[in-house]
Amino acid sequence: MKLTLVFRWKQGKSFPVKIGLVLGVLTVMLVVALLGQSLTGEQIIQRVNEVLSPETSWGRAKMTIVTTSGGERTFVYESWSKNKGEMNLMRYLEPGRVKGQAVLMLNHADDIWMFFPRTQRVRKMATHAKKQKMQGSDFSYEDLGSGDAFIEKFTARRLEDENKEGFQCFCLELTRRPESDVSYSRLILWVIKDSFVPIAIDYYVENDPSRHEKSLIASDVRTIDGIPTAMKVVMQNRDDDTQTAVELLEVRYNLVLEDTLFTERALKR
Amino acid sequence: MRKLTIALILLSVSLTPLHAQNELEIFGYLESQMMGLRMQDKFFQWYTNKLRVDLKSELSSHIMFAANFDYITHHGKTRWNILEFLSPEINEEVPPGMEEYYAMRFSDETFLDNAYVRLSFSHADLTLGKQQISLGTGYVWNPTDIFNVKDVLDPTYEQPGHNAVRLDIPLATLSGLTLLYAPESSWRESGKLIRWKGTLFGFDIDVTAIETWWRFHDYNRLDPETGSFWEAPEKRRLLGVSTAGELLGLGVWGELATNWLERSEDFYELVCGINYTFDFQTFVMLEYYRNTLGRPDSRDYTLNDWMRFYASEQKALSRDQVYVLVQHPATDLLELGLQSVASISDRSVALVPTLQYSLSDNVDVFAYLNFNLGREGTVFARTTGSGGLLRVRVYF
Repeated sequence: MKLTLVFRWKQGKSFPVKIGLVLGVLTVMLVVALLGQSLTGEQIIQRVNEVLSPETSWGRAKMTIVTTSGGERTFVYESWSKNKGEMNLMRYLEPGRVKGQAVLMLNHADDIWMFFPRTQRVRKMATHAKKQKMQGSDFSYEDLGSGDAFIEKFTARRLEDENKEGFQCFCLELTRRPESDVSYSRLILWVIKDSFVPIAIDYYVENDPSRHEKSLIASDVRTIDGIPTAMKVVMQNRDDDTQTAVELLEVRYNLVLEDTLFTERALKR
Repeated sequence: MRKLTIALILLSVSLTPLHAQNELEIFGYLESQMMGLRMQDKFFQWYTNKLRVDLKSELSSHIMFAANFDYITHHGKTRWNILEFLSPEINEEVPPGMEEYYAMRFSDETFLDNAYVRLSFSHADLTLGKQQISLGTGYVWNPTDIFNVKDVLDPTYEQPGHNAVRLDIPLATLSGLTLLYAPESSWRESGKLIRWKGTLFGFDIDVTAIETWWRFHDYNRLDPETGSFWEAPEKRRLLGVSTAGELLGLGVWGELATNWLERSEDFYELVCGINYTFDFQTFVMLEYYRNTLGRPDSRDYTLNDWMRFYASEQKALSRDQVYVLVQHPATDLLELGLQSVASISDRSVALVPTLQYSLSDNVDVFAYLNFNLGREGTVFARTTGSGGLLRVRVYF
């Protein structure tokens, strides 16, 4: 084996480079696998949080609600985020009924203001308003809001790894911290091992950790500006037999966003 | 109708080049309302149709204009005499031969509700023209808002535009200074407002000072020159504070305004409210309102009090009132609610079940029934009738 290697090395200088690459990749894979084995639930959720909370982001999304009667309601909105999700601004673009309505969330959605263009009023909402359904959808403002909720509001425990939606996944159980005001008692997360993108989440109701209320499935994971991004998520409500899909029509990360974008003045524009 | 057609043609002709250049947005809604009232064994019904056309354009990153046209038609019972709603004791106060002056007639209307230009500078926004002015944190009542009076049964309905020059100077993320001048025929009669807004201990807080000319009327006498009720204007000064935030997990807000009048007795208004959303999505709200211009006892109500209340010259007839709202999304498209407005001072109450339904992406249905349960002579007297409203709104 050694002779062969020496012989081939003499034939062309690129060979040991290739060998090095192969060995390197294998080593990295081994290290990742070993690290993956050794990662705790808290470490994995920390990595998930880093993926889900880029420094800044801008996106345009379409939300489609499929109602119990099979009808559909569609909304298009634009959103901006800064400081790893600490500051968020969301504005509806369609349909005309809600056009111009906007939500400003600061301090990881602990402070919320809503703007209603028909009355030109800005109203500060209490945190309980996060429980409200977003335009009657299966997402609450809480589901889409805070960037660091997984870390701040829950403790993470690693479960047996599983295959989910065609991906090798870490499986985590997130249990609500006693002091937390979040609306779910626990979550089960499936996180893609390669990218730390959560591909599926099961939500359990606040008062009964055994009652599975909603399921979220993410799909169409693409790398945008270097950040793995699920371009589509579907939330299914098992109680109401409804579902809501959110598709990212456009998304960009790490843009320069001024702080003045996250003010009452900008909210009313 | 001819007036509207000409106005719309002129508007479309003059705005066509602008549309091409500056992406003029044209939107609005068509609203059809049917209303009914059962009063003393009689049933009345009337209808309104409203077309609202909004125009908005960003002429540059610093200049924006917005305007909207309203065209409203009235049908069915369009003539009402307020005296029909008042008790025999109050009717006795009406000067002989003046009964017809208390009649109101609703005719078709066409008007430019809002029309303003906003100039945005790096440190300020200057808004000139007819614009909505929304002040205060109260849901049903706003003591610091001298420009608008909300309908207690429909408090989120849009308010009309007011002619003003407004300067907004942001000072920080959520703080700023507002200066507003609402011109009338002289400086003395014009409205002047200064407002500071900021945050304190997690609460939004604003302090407002206003000087204006309040156009009260005396509904017992006529002005021989104009042939309408005697106007008794006087200077009004207001100092108010309003706040909104969270306490013990509840949404809380409050608003207090003290009013100094040139000749009449000074008064104050106070609002405080709480709300909460339960995990099962039911939303509850409670708002208390005190207005010392209102009477503590229904036996003290006068013809002037009733008329000023119906003419929206004063926000309340009775001193203390409370509003309760319970709302629940029954399905993903249907929201059911129950509103109740109670006058604590005269122990009368109105119950108002509501329904909101999303018929399609751009079509909403809103309906309420209104049951007045108080004794005769109170704000929500059974004798003033019970009724309802059905509204269908199509957005474009």
